[in-house]
Amino acid sequence: MTGIDTRAAEGARSAQGIGQSAPRPDGVLKVTGEFAYSSDLWLDDMVWGATLRSPHPSALIRSIDVGPALAMPGVLAVLTHEDVPGDPFYGLERRHQPVLAVDRVRYQGEPVALVAADHPERARRAAAAIVVDYEVTEAVTDARRAAFDPACPRVHEEGNVLRHQPVRTGSVFEAPVVVSGEYEVGMQDQAFLGPESGLAVPAEDGGVDLYIATQWLHVDRDQIAPCLGLPAEKVRLTLAGVGGAFGAREDLSMQVHACMLALRTGRPVKIVYGREESFFGHVHRHPARMRYEHGATRDGRLVYVKAEILLDGGAYCSSSPAVVGNAASLGVGPYEVGNVAVDAYGVYTNNPPCGAMRGFGAVQACFAYESQMDLLAEACGLSPVEIRRRNAVSQGSHLITGQLIDAPAPLADMLTELESFPLPATTGTGSDLRDLPGGVSQTTRGEGVRRGVGYGVGIKNICFSEGFDDYSTARVRVEATPDGPHALVHTAAAEVGQGLVTVQAQIARTELAELGVEEVTLVPADTSVGSAGSSSASRQSYMTGGAVKTACEAVRERFRELAAGHPGLSPAELVERFGPLEETREYRHRPTRPMDPLTGQGDSHTQLALCVHRAVVDVDVELGLVKVVELAAVQDVGRVLNLLALEGQIHGGSAQGLGLALMEEVQVVDGRVRNPSFTDYLIPTILDMPPMRMSILENADPAAPYGLRGAGEPPTLSSTPAIAAAVRAATGRPLPRVPIRPQDIALP
Amino acid sequence: MRPFVYERAEEARSAVAAVADRPDAMYLGGGTNLVDLMRLGVAEPARLVDVSRLPYDTVGVRPDGALRIGAAVRNSDLAAHPAVRRAHPLLAQALLAGASGQVRNMATVGGNLLQRTRCAYFQDITKPCNKRNPGSGCPAREGDHRNLAIIGHSEACVATHPSDMAVALAALDAVVHLEGRDGPRTLPLTELYRLPGDDPRRDTVLDPADLITEVTVPALSFGGRSHYRKVRDRASFAFAVVSVAAALDVAGGVVRDCRIAFGAIAPVPWRARRAEEALRGAPATEDAFAAAARAELGQARPLRDNAFKVPLARNLLVRTLTELVVA
Ligand SMILES: Cc1cc2nc3c(=O)[nH]c(=O)nc-3n(C[C@H](O)[C@H](O)[C@H](O)COP(=O)(O)OP(=O)(O)OC[C@H]3O[C@@H](n4cnc5c(N)ncnc54)[C@H](O)[C@@H]3O)c2cc1C
Ligand code: SF4
Repeated sequence: MTGIDTRAAEGARSAQGIGQSAPRPDGVLKVTGEFAYSSDLWLDDMVWGATLRSPHPSALIRSIDVGPALAMPGVLAVLTHEDVPGDPFYGLERRHQPVLAVDRVRYQGEPVALVAADHPERARRAAAAIVVDYEVTEAVTDARRAAFDPACPRVHEEGNVLRHQPVRTGSVFEAPVVVSGEYEVGMQDQAFLGPESGLAVPAEDGGVDLYIATQWLHVDRDQIAPCLGLPAEKVRLTLAGVGGAFGAREDLSMQVHACMLALRTGRPVKIVYGREESFFGHVHRHPARMRYEHGATRDGRLVYVKAEILLDGGAYCSSSPAVVGNAASLGVGPYEVGNVAVDAYGVYTNNPPCGAMRGFGAVQACFAYESQMDLLAEACGLSPVEIRRRNAVSQGSHLITGQLIDAPAPLADMLTELESFPLPATTGTGSDLRDLPGGVSQTTRGEGVRRGVGYGVGIKNICFSEGFDDYSTARVRVEATPDGPHALVHTAAAEVGQGLVTVQAQIARTELAELGVEEVTLVPADTSVGSAGSSSASRQSYMTGGAVKTACEAVRERFRELAAGHPGLSPAELVERFGPLEETREYRHRPTRPMDPLTGQGDSHTQLALCVHRAVVDVDVELGLVKVVELAAVQDVGRVLNLLALEGQIHGGSAQGLGLALMEEVQVVDGRVRNPSFTDYLIPTILDMPPMRMSILENADPAAPYGLRGAGEPPTLSSTPAIAAAVRAATGRPLPRVPIRPQDIALP
Repeated sequence: MRPFVYERAEEARSAVAAVADRPDAMYLGGGTNLVDLMRLGVAEPARLVDVSRLPYDTVGVRPDGALRIGAAVRNSDLAAHPAVRRAHPLLAQALLAGASGQVRNMATVGGNLLQRTRCAYFQDITKPCNKRNPGSGCPAREGDHRNLAIIGHSEACVATHPSDMAVALAALDAVVHLEGRDGPRTLPLTELYRLPGDDPRRDTVLDPADLITEVTVPALSFGGRSHYRKVRDRASFAFAVVSVAAALDVAGGVVRDCRIAFGAIAPVPWRARRAEEALRGAPATEDAFAAAARAELGQARPLRDNAFKVPLARNLLVRTLTELVVA
């Protein structure tokens, strides 16, 4: 392959083993702008693909006339659903999403037709020239109506409720103290910087090679190949540089499209979405509407929780069923409560499809149950920390699904530590403007500013749940070089920015130290090795880390046998004489079980992780402006593999939670996205994100490699409710919805 | 995007001639607004005449103390200019409160004044919009208008003007210098913009061939005692929800003179003459400031979801004036 730069995935050479803050192999390249992202892929003879999308959230397609597009100069192919060579549908959990719309469209932005042309602008113009005759139909945009109104049109034949997961335990639903509330979480976007992009190259064997930014190469392949009517081995994927993911690259975007165009034209085809198109090209976080009722004793011990959690899945299934499962099983948070009636629903509407995003179902519920815990604290005359401590789970507790928490879960201690952190000094007149609400807009010098402090607690399942047979594969090869034994680590795991390339090399170096290995090279991730599973659910250090560790151990085992047989030889000589030593291993976590469809009971989770946040905010109550002054967090990660990378995860997760609390929302009106740009979809800037204080605990999980606990998602959960609670404390307003915006705060 | 011809103007007259001849030609400044609108299909010029390299790229101070600002001066350069920072801090603050460093490095004074509304329907060509497509209707009125106008709007259009800089210039009695079909002329900045009435198509009174060459800002003895303040949804890089530009001249506890303009509440940078009227000669107290705010905002006719802007504008004005007294 000429011209394809795979430096992206290569060259993980670290001088350090696990526990060290080894530098990222791709760090300097990224900071200096030399890193090749998937949008930088280039072949000299390639052509460009473009996608025509539906302008309507709901419409029937009467006809499609591709003639005008085909007649345009430079156009090589125009494809519709009739040109899909194989299965016209794909999907992560249900194969019902059309590769190209067949006879109707179900959301604004749904792909309808494709063009390949010799120039990207020509391709776009040709796509715009395709004439589609739509008959606009009523769009279902209200999730509650979609779920519960029998008169509501159906988005899919199967009905609008894609999953209803109840959780039932206990029978006492009365208590001396009762608090209730209705909560809403807006639609958040993953807001990655690298838009969807990839390059499909037709191969001589009739197959296709796809260079792609994704989270899971093999699940992409297993969806693409049937759509192309090709056997899996003829669809080969290589990971291209990934510019962020956060769940948005779990579903397919342009993968099948680029391959179809490449097979049709016989030319390499590149597709890159623009920013606006990207907002339509991936799923978002489910917006949620939730009703909660908590009953407790007067001294603040939970008696029961009732909850209804309604998640708007939009037009297609994506990973909504799993999101519903998480919202249900983690729906009351990390608290001990014997009587529970939780109902979580995922619903189809004609809104944008929603699916995976960091925190995945647990985020929405966390905002509601933590808001409830604060109400309860107030009703019982307890502090927010005390109410949580009194009900906190610990090792030996059971989740509401009946699952035993068999690993350390020192929530009460984490809260105590969090509370003991010193509070930041009061900002006031004379402070640096940047520290005040409104910041450099200099709306205040300290007048009208009130301080608030809030706490949030979150629990997240790590790895896939509910009986999924999950595994990761690693191939490790140790060979002799003039500089001594050298290790090659090959997995299909997607580096999406989280630092997995660093950690894999650290593990290999640690496990292969006795072979004299110092140099470790990561082979670019592709489908020529077994699946690594998804870079999601905070699972890759656990799963692919586990696979690399296991494969290294197997290599080491062989080495030890050789060493025993040849006592006179040094490690380097052994590798030289008997190498290369290569082993491939699959790693599986312990099995999980499905949730009972009626009671939600079952050991559905692999591992559980806790994070707690304290937020300190200054609110300008006259102008409705919030400045988060400090975020403090305590997280138990079991074992630190790379402190620097871990701190980055906690910072980033907390910032994403801050965004959800205060500004991030895909605004959807009548099924249409109002703000598909980074001018109008606001994410926190460096001026919005405060310094963080952190404490990282290492209470090992005996079931996990090195005792580690996945760390990427938990901080995203707890920072949102902590900030909302702090703003409530400062303003006295109930604030039942995030993001909280200036107009939600009292303007006297 | 529709294909277009690009040409770079060498001097003002030829630029005007190039645009005057063709109804589908437009001036191009830094392109930070126009190119976005072209990509969205909202603007479809067939010819772009780049005026960003015309020799109107300096800031000077006239003998009478007035500032002369070339229309091609970049927003960053204007904000950083010592004369601006000294004599008209509110103008520098307004510029720095807008957009991001990168955008300000590209954006020109002329383009900033003529940037179009951020109304989401205006930017979405699949939707009706009286401003884009006269007579098609105004979906914002019943739809998403949280950040649209509370004052000066009409049945036909409720959009706001998004510029921060223009708000400061409106308060400062700036004058716009134009080169048009019939030669040069000037116009007070507040008369450049027009209210939508029943024809919201045009934001200004300009002819498409009118080229902005310069903006002058008369000396203001109390310009040093001025502020621009902006409420927005995040700490930087976001358009205003409400903003205010104010300059105050206080002596012996009495307001001798003042200049006030609001941003993001009206289809134009909103010079608050009623508030100014109410303040002149009044005591420099919070109560008087609140009364002045009421005098102006009494005319407000908020929409369903933007009533919060009325108290927000009031609080922001009172806060800003109070601080100017102390300053
Ligand atoms: C991400 C983003 C955030 C932003 N945030 C803010 C903000 O917070 N506050 C704010 O005030 N602005 C903001 N802006 C808008 C920005 O200030 C304007 O885009 C910019 O000032 C326009 O200047 P320009 O030179 O690029 O104009 P162009 O885009 O080149 O032109 C704009 C219009 O002016 C016309 N024009 C240009 N020069 C002349 C001239 N000399 N004579 C006559 N007509 C002319 C053009 O024909 C066009 O119609 C933001 C923009 C972006 C992209
Ligand atoms: S407010 Fe004005 S710009 Fe917005 S949709 Fe209505 S007419 Fe168009």
